Amino acid sequence: MSAAQRLYRLRWVVLPPLTGIGILAMLVGAVVAAPRELVEGDVQRLMYIHIPSAFAMYLAVAVLFAASIMVLWKRDMRWDAAARGAAGVGVLFSGFALATGSLWGKPTWGVYWQWDARLTSTLVLFLILIAYLLARTVSDPDDEQSARYSAVYAIVGSLDVPLIMMSVRWWRTLHPQPIVARLDPQLPGSMGLVLLISTIAILLLTVWLIALRTDTERLGQRLLGLRAAVDRREEA
Amino acid sequence: MSAVLAVLVKDLRLAWRDRAGWLTAAAFAAISVLVYSFAFDLATTDVRPLLPGVLWTTFLFAGVFASGAGFQREAEEGTFDALLLSPVSPTVVFLGKLLSNLIALVVIEFALLIAATILFDEPLLTPELVAIVMLGTAGYVSLTTLLGTLGSGPRTRAVLLPVMALPLLVPMLIAAVRATGDTLGLFGGEAPWVMLLGVFALWSTLTAVILFPLAVER
Repeated sequence: MSAAQRLYRLRWVVLPPLTGIGILAMLVGAVVAAPRELVEGDVQRLMYIHIPSAFAMYLAVAVLFAASIMVLWKRDMRWDAAARGAAGVGVLFSGFALATGSLWGKPTWGVYWQWDARLTSTLVLFLILIAYLLARTVSDPDDEQSARYSAVYAIVGSLDVPLIMMSVRWWRTLHPQPIVARLDPQLPGSMGLVLLISTIAILLLTVWLIALRTDTERLGQRLLGLRAAVDRREEA
Repeated sequence: MSAVLAVLVKDLRLAWRDRAGWLTAAAFAAISVLVYSFAFDLATTDVRPLLPGVLWTTFLFAGVFASGAGFQREAEEGTFDALLLSPVSPTVVFLGKLLSNLIALVVIEFALLIAATILFDEPLLTPELVAIVMLGTAGYVSLTTLLGTLGSGPRTRAVLLPVMALPLLVPMLIAAVRATGDTLGLFGGEAPWVMLLGVFALWSTLTAVILFPLAVER
């Protein structure tokens, strides 16, 4: 058994407690420990859930992309279960990023929605993920042909992301420029630390949810296989 | 090459015999432009700034509609499975289908450009605009052809195809509308939209050509 497989076996032992501790630390950090922003006030605390949600969305899309390549390459339906799991979690977190962004945008920009570059690209990604799930759920979980078709769509959709970002960035932009990934961070240290903790916590949650969804999809596939076997035996 | 041509000729012949599908797409496109011109004429006195958006949304809807409809009969009759069983590579089948879709759509688009020239009193058949239309069409037709041949059944295909295709085509739509607007002198801008259109066309064609054989492998 490879190290990766051994690690995967331990997912139910490792992920829940780590995620729990992370989420608790995130809540304490975001609500209590982090300083109140001078201009925006308490609404700025949404940042500690908004930015990690966006990262979680990209993590889910990366898992979806990798799992879809494996579906085409290995012809193993377990990868299809992982892809479906990742797409569902991606819809959840992109929706979350959009919702918290709207709530944050109203008091700071004065509007819930703006056709800003990052908002637009997140919305398009959200729509692509929903289209993937729709395309995949109209057929049975163990339908291999449909799994391959959906994998192709997921790969095209993931590869489209840079083009979407480029086009909407040239189109218009209102979003704050990056403040974290810079050589001289503009975010105060204490806020940066809470943001880091929140990001780790949400990413752990993302991994946990994807593993959970994957196992659920896998059970659905096995159930269909068992039902088919029972039908065959009854006919015989 | 001769196999690509054979698929192309077969598809064009089918499209000609089964004119209903393509004529519906063309009629739909013509009616959309009419409806747009009525609706926007009520809302604003100067319709020109809306023209690039009107043209490209119509092109896209017609394209998505047509590539699904054109494939419908073939999937129902089992022709598609037979094509895949024939001793040519799936890439060849795909290229033939791509070219036939491209030709049919370019015909519809030229008809629309002529109609819009008359309705909006704007000379649209300029060399630059024709080049942009061809480049944009090359970009979206490969994706709609790929997605049109996917899908599990005719009913889901008809409903899902626009839902799946349109989000993917957002970059192409933005670039095409802006590039069209630039040639009509509507918006000033620095961004290299024609280049983005070219990159998108290249990207979508390559992706579709590479992924189609993997998708239809049985």
